[in-house]
Amino acid sequence: MVEQLFYREKGLFLQRLHPVTALTYLGVLFVLALASSNPLYLTGVLVVVVLGIWAADGLEAWEGYLRIILGMALLIMIVNPLVIHAGKTVLWLGPRLPVFGRLTISLEAVCYGAAMSVRLLDVVSIFCLYNLVVHPDKPLRLLSRFAGKSALVASLAVRMFPSMLRELQSIREVQCLRGVDFAAGGMRERIKKYAFLLRALLLTALEGSLETAESMQARAFGSGPRTRYHLEVWRPRDTLCLTVSLLVLAVAAYGGIKGFTGYVYYPRLGSLLPGGTALAALVAVFGGLLFPVALGWGWRRWPYLRSKI
Amino acid sequence: MAALALFKVENLIYYYPGTVKPALAGVSLEIEDGEFVLVTGGSGSGKSSLARALAGLLPDFYGGRFGGRVSFRGRDLRTLDRRALAREVGMVFQDPEKQLVMTGVEAEVAFGLENLGLSQEEMRRRVAEVVGFLGLTGLREKFTANLSGGEKQRLALAAVLAMRPQVLILDEPTSQLDPAAAEEFLNLVRRLNEEMGFTVVLIEQRLERCFHLSDRVLLMEEGRILRDGTPQQVARWAVARENPFVPPVSRFFAQVGFPAVAVTVKEGRRLLRPYRVNRELPDGKPADAVSPGRGASGKLVVEAKGLGFTYPDGREALWGINCTFAAGEFVAVMGENGAGKSTLLKILAGLLRPGRGKAVVLGSDLEKNNRLGPRVAYLSQNPNDYLFQETVEEELRFGLKNFGLPDNGIVDKLLTRLHLGRYRKMNPRDLSSGERQRVALAAVLVTRPALLLLDEPTRGMDYRLKAELGTFLKELAAKGVTVVLVTHDVEFTAEYAARVVLLSAGRLVSDGPKHRVLGTSVFYAPQMARLCRGLADNVLTVPEAVKKIGALLRCSLPVQAAASPPGDRP
Repeated sequence: MVEQLFYREKGLFLQRLHPVTALTYLGVLFVLALASSNPLYLTGVLVVVVLGIWAADGLEAWEGYLRIILGMALLIMIVNPLVIHAGKTVLWLGPRLPVFGRLTISLEAVCYGAAMSVRLLDVVSIFCLYNLVVHPDKPLRLLSRFAGKSALVASLAVRMFPSMLRELQSIREVQCLRGVDFAAGGMRERIKKYAFLLRALLLTALEGSLETAESMQARAFGSGPRTRYHLEVWRPRDTLCLTVSLLVLAVAAYGGIKGFTGYVYYPRLGSLLPGGTALAALVAVFGGLLFPVALGWGWRRWPYLRSKI
Repeated sequence: MAALALFKVENLIYYYPGTVKPALAGVSLEIEDGEFVLVTGGSGSGKSSLARALAGLLPDFYGGRFGGRVSFRGRDLRTLDRRALAREVGMVFQDPEKQLVMTGVEAEVAFGLENLGLSQEEMRRRVAEVVGFLGLTGLREKFTANLSGGEKQRLALAAVLAMRPQVLILDEPTSQLDPAAAEEFLNLVRRLNEEMGFTVVLIEQRLERCFHLSDRVLLMEEGRILRDGTPQQVARWAVARENPFVPPVSRFFAQVGFPAVAVTVKEGRRLLRPYRVNRELPDGKPADAVSPGRGASGKLVVEAKGLGFTYPDGREALWGINCTFAAGEFVAVMGENGAGKSTLLKILAGLLRPGRGKAVVLGSDLEKNNRLGPRVAYLSQNPNDYLFQETVEEELRFGLKNFGLPDNGIVDKLLTRLHLGRYRKMNPRDLSSGERQRVALAAVLVTRPALLLLDEPTRGMDYRLKAELGTFLKELAAKGVTVVLVTHDVEFTAEYAARVVLLSAGRLVSDGPKHRVLGTSVFYAPQMARLCRGLADNVLTVPEAVKKIGALLRCSLPVQAAASPPGDRP
């Protein structure tokens, strides 16, 4: 189950983008999720990301992320209306409570809470999409141009994570059979049991790291300046997707300046689309963001397109 | 003028930091260009230390005290800079998992090349060449974590070969692999030596697979080279001194005093051909014709009926398993990778619930209750999973304390029986791999289990340790403990188990006394069964072969057999 949350090579279109392209595309989505407060933009980002996750055959993995985050999203939706009293359209007047004052639930606060929950879902879903389509080595290789050793350490950590999870499972099983009941006992006792578990894991990891270091030394690591091996190929699809992503960013920036991506929640809800230009900007942004997903769909279906891009 | 030796080792002495016993105690040898040298011996005999010294890792990586000299083409290895050394000598290590650095296959192959500071063009060319040669093209974009053990070890070899060394040092590269992957890997090494001209120094324990590949065998003990010679010479010498580090087929020929010592089954069968033609040998009955599921006492410990299991990802690991294990039985569960062996063991240990069918262990229906308590002991593949206490003694007491069981002298008894008494107050992590395995075994046996389950307990063990373990397990079975072990080790099974359960693709395909299952198999037959096929039936081990046909061979030696093969000089 846990392994579903991580990158798995499936030969998908989005996985075959150059890391610069993939990171720019995801970066634009991320910027939009954080910088806009307009519910249309926030929901639009969510729709695009979910379509991307679907195209990356990762709905099952997304479910895993949702399970972690949905509770928090609901909490924001509930708590925000209870503590924010700035809205004018009152839906319900409650009793007076210490600290909170008089409970007032306004339409504006409900909408703001819902929008913030969608933003949280946006961010987590973008992270999910990143894990599904970006091979962890790729951004690290980009980083290695500027910070070679840090990138290598990060790469090693990424590599060891799945094997440490397997190791942890194995040690846990062994300890259960040696009579350790992780569910029994008080908090203190349970912490002690988990400490034993982690100790065994750390000792094994430490011994393993010595073997890894020996293998690195035998392959001349640290013997002088290193060069970098570039695996990535820049294809026409990268030019297309990068250009479109940058255009989307430019339109979104224009929309931001003009106030299209923002939204007034308090004291009363503002207009979602103030005029035709705002609608055009919205269509351009989401048309552009859907472009790589649509291109991937075509890439999968039409061999001709596949050979050309 | 004599050609300069590739390696010249002169009186090499080495102590690891903080130790008083030398790992290498005056080793001298020469290795010629293009040779295939096999280094063997027991755990702690200095094999790996010699490999590290030849790769320039001693004392550079480990520190410690170093004496003597190792030269490569006449130059002291310690005066070569690391980059130059890596271009000449490449080393592949034991554990395929630990020696990989990068997350992706292609990046891993390129890692060493980046360290050498090669140009992009050169790196691309070398990566393409080596990936093609080692059949890794289809795995280029894969995660290293998702590769099988055999693929990981092939990748480690590729990463070293890409650096184009002249010498390949392989430190027990097949110890963590299943037989098929090990065979494939060693065949690859043979090709590299024979067709590509690489000098190979191979440290190995699975001698039946590689003894014949080598030009020369070095037998080590206590940090010294005991014997250096052709495989035939070393086999004869070792058998005369009851040294176990020879393959069974060689041990047999040397033990019966045959003038020639075969190192492969093919060679052995050629030597025995005259006997097959001229003589009729009586066909013996299997010595262990025990009906499956009924041991000495007949009391059933495990009953599986229509047992099946499917993992959450949809992989069907077991289907329709019907078998019973009785008290005092010693059963080996065998089969290819993914056959369902470990899954079966985990179900019997109560770690997995049966998906279909029924499994009853010691009277408990595992579908209703899979918490079996101290009466079932389970030893996983990695003994390190068991070691986290400060001392060996505490490690043993851990299980007793958790189950609230009294000691009644069991800790002392196990420490003595498993030769761990002198390590009682030591940290188990400071012990050798063989000793760690014994501590882990003792740690699960303290609860006096009725059923002992072991997953690949002989992996990475030398012949001597295997013999100790096998004898101990037989002793336990004789005392009424049911011993069920999952293994790929055909020779160990032939020697010590009584019954074999063969699984394939999750199904039980054969179950019976070892002579019936192994003796009639082609691919699961031990060396002696393959050697004696058509000559004598029901032969699995060297003592059985000596008993059945040894006397006959000794009393009349045909002319063909008397001729020594080349290289077998006294």
